[in-house]
Amino acid sequence: MSITLDRRQVLLAGAGVLVAMPSLITPKTASAAGEFPSRTMQVLIPTGEGGGVDQAARAFNRVWSKYLGANFEYSYFPGASGQVGYEVFVAKREPDAYNILFGNIGPEMIMYATQKVKYKYPEDFVYIGSMDVDDSVIWVPGNSRFKTIGDMVEEGKKREITLSTSRLPHPSTIGALALAEATGMKVRMIPYGGGGPARSAAITGEVDGCATFLSSSLGLGEQARFLTVFNDTNRAPELTNNAPPVNQALGTKIPQMSGQRAIAIHAKAVEAYPDRVKKLSETFKQVFADPEYKTVAEKAGTPWEFIQYGDAAACQESAKEFVELAERFRPLLSASKG
Amino acid sequence: MNLSLTVLSDQFLLNFSYLWLIVIATTIGIIIGAMPGFGSANTIIMLLPFTLAVDVEVAMIFMVSLFVASHMGGGITSILLNIPGNGGSAATCLDGYPMAKKGLGQQALVLSFVASTVGGMVTALMSIFLLPYIARLAFYMHSVEMVVILLFGITLIASVASDNMLKGLIAGFLGLLIGAIGADSIYSTPRGTFGFIELYDGVPLIAVLIGVFAISEALIMMESSSVLSETGMQMMKQAGWKETWEGVVMSFQRTWHMIWTGIIGLIIGIVPGAGASIAAFVAYQQSRLYSKTPEEYGKGIPEGVIAPESANNGCASGDLIPLLVIGVPGGTTAAVMLIVMTYHGVQLGPRLFIQNPGLGYGVFITMLIAYAVMLFTTLPLTRWVSKLVMIPTPVLAPIIIAFTLVGAFAPRGYMFDLWLTLLFGAIGYVCRKTGFNVVALLIGVILGPMLEANVMRALRISGNDPWVFFSSPVGNILWAALAISLAIPSMVQWRRNRAAARIAAA
Repeated sequence: MSITLDRRQVLLAGAGVLVAMPSLITPKTASAAGEFPSRTMQVLIPTGEGGGVDQAARAFNRVWSKYLGANFEYSYFPGASGQVGYEVFVAKREPDAYNILFGNIGPEMIMYATQKVKYKYPEDFVYIGSMDVDDSVIWVPGNSRFKTIGDMVEEGKKREITLSTSRLPHPSTIGALALAEATGMKVRMIPYGGGGPARSAAITGEVDGCATFLSSSLGLGEQARFLTVFNDTNRAPELTNNAPPVNQALGTKIPQMSGQRAIAIHAKAVEAYPDRVKKLSETFKQVFADPEYKTVAEKAGTPWEFIQYGDAAACQESAKEFVELAERFRPLLSASKG
Repeated sequence: MNLSLTVLSDQFLLNFSYLWLIVIATTIGIIIGAMPGFGSANTIIMLLPFTLAVDVEVAMIFMVSLFVASHMGGGITSILLNIPGNGGSAATCLDGYPMAKKGLGQQALVLSFVASTVGGMVTALMSIFLLPYIARLAFYMHSVEMVVILLFGITLIASVASDNMLKGLIAGFLGLLIGAIGADSIYSTPRGTFGFIELYDGVPLIAVLIGVFAISEALIMMESSSVLSETGMQMMKQAGWKETWEGVVMSFQRTWHMIWTGIIGLIIGIVPGAGASIAAFVAYQQSRLYSKTPEEYGKGIPEGVIAPESANNGCASGDLIPLLVIGVPGGTTAAVMLIVMTYHGVQLGPRLFIQNPGLGYGVFITMLIAYAVMLFTTLPLTRWVSKLVMIPTPVLAPIIIAFTLVGAFAPRGYMFDLWLTLLFGAIGYVCRKTGFNVVALLIGVILGPMLEANVMRALRISGNDPWVFFSSPVGNILWAALAISLAIPSMVQWRRNRAAARIAAA
């Protein structure tokens, strides 16, 4: 193997270091004073660095910066299933459209509905666009005796099945609970506080399987056997050992359980700076037509089949649906049994 | 796993061709490791554009070098100023700082660097040749086993508090209570946050570290003109290269100690979510337990520096194993590495070692070379760096307060964290003045939340059956080892008392 740093790479690397210090440079693409955006965009991520949202946001913004004409600076506020990030965004960030939040509508609206939060949706923030649809799945370790979702359901009627999950307020948790309700199986969700530990627990056999988003588990190879997908179709059959959609396999009527990574801004910014929001929305949409985005999204681990633009109305509809679902399963998702 | 001599030699050659990059990365790593509030994860994130622009092999050399160097750098301020650069080097303060106060700061630094190097290199070598077996350990280390391992660390509270057991236990329990602040690990229900969103994710460890150690230490420093005792000052004035060599000799007189404490770090590091702080405290506890002179711990004994530093760096190897072997990051820095590797199209997990064994094993080769490089860059510096303690405290103390407050603010950017740090500074100062052990408090803060999360998880998996804690063979072996480790000090003391009584009677 021969690896060399050619001149182009050295230049790119040097540029990279400069990009890493956005406060020290003015983006060349920034427009004249008064035009938006004239400075670096501040991205708040309500989950940890290196997580799925972080990867997706960085991939997206790499292309978005071309159309928006600004660089992006990231800050991370994980904790309490994303609540910390949203609280910080609403209470401590200026509603000037320069501050945006990159989140995941499904888990974070379930969190909103099941935890005591200080902010209100949509009074305090709104989603203005989503970038993908990532389906919930259940998978088991490659050496598990469960070959199909039917096997798991049958066993679940005799004993409680344990499934790891990154956090309780999560579409995959609701999917598993809805599956249990529909089939009579018993399931116990075990939150691990992050996708990595949740996947590790399933691979190493601490629990029977893992309920999570599909994209986060695609790199596991033969270590994971996908049992079912919580959607009407499996959009990545070749990557998921052709796991059947749950309703098709079991004759249930479980709604689609997907996450949608999306950007949110303050509701006040929508009122005060409609032009800025318009530019954000328009340039956000332009990214999806850029072939470069396909390359970087796939490099970030998201199959192109999952990339799907959603506008503000679609985001709002999705948020509403998740709040309703969360209300239905609230006793199982929160400490409050009321 | 396709390990061959060709793969290893290719990787050695590749790493040697990037020696300049390793020198740069390890220098950055040592500096950020020594600065409380800064760590490898946020530094690598800042430099993501660089790692994404270059070849993945080059990116890995850079990231791995920086990562291991940050583990090594944390011990510098622990030893010289009683300020741990990160959680993994907190246990180093226990004996490193007393050594520095006695004028043995140079030797302590050498002990720290050599132990870090040996711990890191031995575990990297073990990882290369025993990777499939070591990776299997993760299959036996679940929540139940982690509970017992954490209890090993927590029993250290009783050990460090042996001068005044009651006050030590009170400090330890106060630490556990502080550690319980924040959203619970199952339902995310906030507890003891007083409505502050800044506390929902728990009390930030860095605020506790800086407050209890740095701020309170700076306040104590101001009460005298120098950190050093008079004899210590004389020794430091006369110190030269001889002291560095003395440190090297002291280290290699304890080679086996460095090796086995490094292996403790490796094993604990493999468990996702466990970290260097647990490894360092458990290694220190084990070192003290099997020592013939446990009463010397906390007063400046070389083994008290070697054990946590070797484990801290052994943990660095362990931390990366889950990422490479099963494709799941074990810690934050590994998660950031995952971003880079995914971006470069690297398939992690078992396939990595079939499709690209050079990259998989290359990580550990980089570790070996980075540690070797650091030994040559750090050892000569010990002579001058150790003089830091000679700065008069009226100058040193304000500098410490100013720099560490920046470190307290940097990770999250909250003004709240500055006030919290000052509050912990006041708590630490009062604790020191009244004889409550601040290390016992810190152990509670660090290990308490992890213990709670693992206990809750084990109970939830079992359907709230308390017998789950005795349900696994590995767990039961660990319980037995814990019971023995608790009984040994009492037995040894009993035998000593009996022997003393016999001598007195004779």
